[in-house]
Amino acid sequence: MEDIAIQLRNVEFSFLVPKQGAGSLKEYLLKLGRGKYFSYKTVLSDINLDIFRGETFGVLGVNGSGKSTLLRIIAGVLQPHRGNVRVFGKVAPLLALGVGLQPELSGLENIQLCGTLMGLTQREIKQSRDKIIEFAELSDSITMQVKRYSSGMLSRLAFAIATAIEPEILIIDEVLSVGDIGFQKKCAQWIEGKRQQGCTILYVSHSAEQIRQMCTRAACLENGRISVVDEASITCDYYLAKF
Amino acid sequence: MKEISQHRRENIKKQFKSWINITLMLAWVKIKVRYKNSILGVFWSLITPLIFLGIFIFIFSQAFSEIENYPLFALSGLIFWNFFSTTTSQIADSVIGGAGILKSIPIPPIIFPVSALIAALLNLLFSLVPFTVIMLLFGQYPNWNLLALVPAIFLYACFALGVSLLLAALNVYMRDVLMFWSSIIPGLLYCTPIAYPIGLIPEEWQWLMNFNPLFHYITAIRKILYYSNSPNTHEWLSILAIAVISLSMGVFVFQKLQRNFISAL
Repeated sequence: MEDIAIQLRNVEFSFLVPKQGAGSLKEYLLKLGRGKYFSYKTVLSDINLDIFRGETFGVLGVNGSGKSTLLRIIAGVLQPHRGNVRVFGKVAPLLALGVGLQPELSGLENIQLCGTLMGLTQREIKQSRDKIIEFAELSDSITMQVKRYSSGMLSRLAFAIATAIEPEILIIDEVLSVGDIGFQKKCAQWIEGKRQQGCTILYVSHSAEQIRQMCTRAACLENGRISVVDEASITCDYYLAKF
Repeated sequence: MKEISQHRRENIKKQFKSWINITLMLAWVKIKVRYKNSILGVFWSLITPLIFLGIFIFIFSQAFSEIENYPLFALSGLIFWNFFSTTTSQIADSVIGGAGILKSIPIPPIIFPVSALIAALLNLLFSLVPFTVIMLLFGQYPNWNLLALVPAIFLYACFALGVSLLLAALNVYMRDVLMFWSSIIPGLLYCTPIAYPIGLIPEEWQWLMNFNPLFHYITAIRKILYYSNSPNTHEWLSILAIAVISLSMGVFVFQKLQRNFISAL
């Protein structure tokens, strides 16, 4: 019996949507006492999934099939409305890539900020600062305000900060498309290194090719339900035939 | 078994510490960004009260000539009024501003209001520096009663946080809550004896002021700053009670509503 890293049982999640257009106080007061103002829209239902320690698991699905919501539930950002989620190990939220970057601050200050957001201590940030700068290839412009960075530089910085965490479970939400070819290779190498260290990797994409390349097993998500869980190539064939 | 619970406790402790780090970091960033591109830097936090002060001196000094050192009187109220109005509006927007982070990192949403409050408190401290200078110019020398300002500001901040939490939580679902708030807040200014003495209100209506929570705080703070005195027990108890009620109500509503924040953001 293999070790389980992520376990989802009967997970259900629904979003709250305001009934008519954007929510506003005015509308609420006008509708007061007459009917419900909000309704729920089910995004995920009946999700049962076991992901084993050390495997690279892919989640396939078209836009709007609930991939990001599933990731957020695993990352602990969202709580499922029904069912339960158990995650064994430290999760690196790669889905948070570049989140919280503050354009007015310098690259160096942003390393501080984002590192803290990702749960690193001051000491850990200080220790890995030089490594981050080197990885991002930004030693010349690290004291520059981030708003003057090119988009390639931005994503390099963001990815480099994320490499500072020592995760046991890595969540990747189509972030490999950052920077130029050279940097993409570097990112892929880093992920490969993590995999060899025994890191569990959860890879999410709507491209069957990437999943086939990277993953051992994969699941296909359709309208918030899991339709297939199998070896990556089988799931990919199913997905390609259907969509 | 014991080892596991020990491990768990360590984890919770670590988690909590990281939340505190994040709160302080966000507050620090807020302050840094605010002053980064400005020549006047920190002095921007003084501009609003100074403009108001100018108007008040120009127009009201004559009218309230019986008040000794009227500018000091007005400024002691204005600085704290300004704190309330900017803090509540900033915090009301803070959860929406943190949407990106909330959607990707598992942290409690209350981190955003609290960090905004810390930033606002630091601003308040900056604006007390020139106030001290003006105080000295008017020949009022600080005495030990000034220490009472610390608990008074603390309670005032708790009161403001309570109100703001309520606004921030509602604002996530109904985006015009902030607009509504910014349209009633100038009205509150004129309903509170900030630029004028309470004696201006007809005596038979003065009891109404008891229902204005801001009045109690301004009275207590002015007693310390302007009259160089210390609030009496009754005054302390009322600002304490208002802070407790406001904060617990704010936290309660915020906790209730935070469950669906992410889907509403």
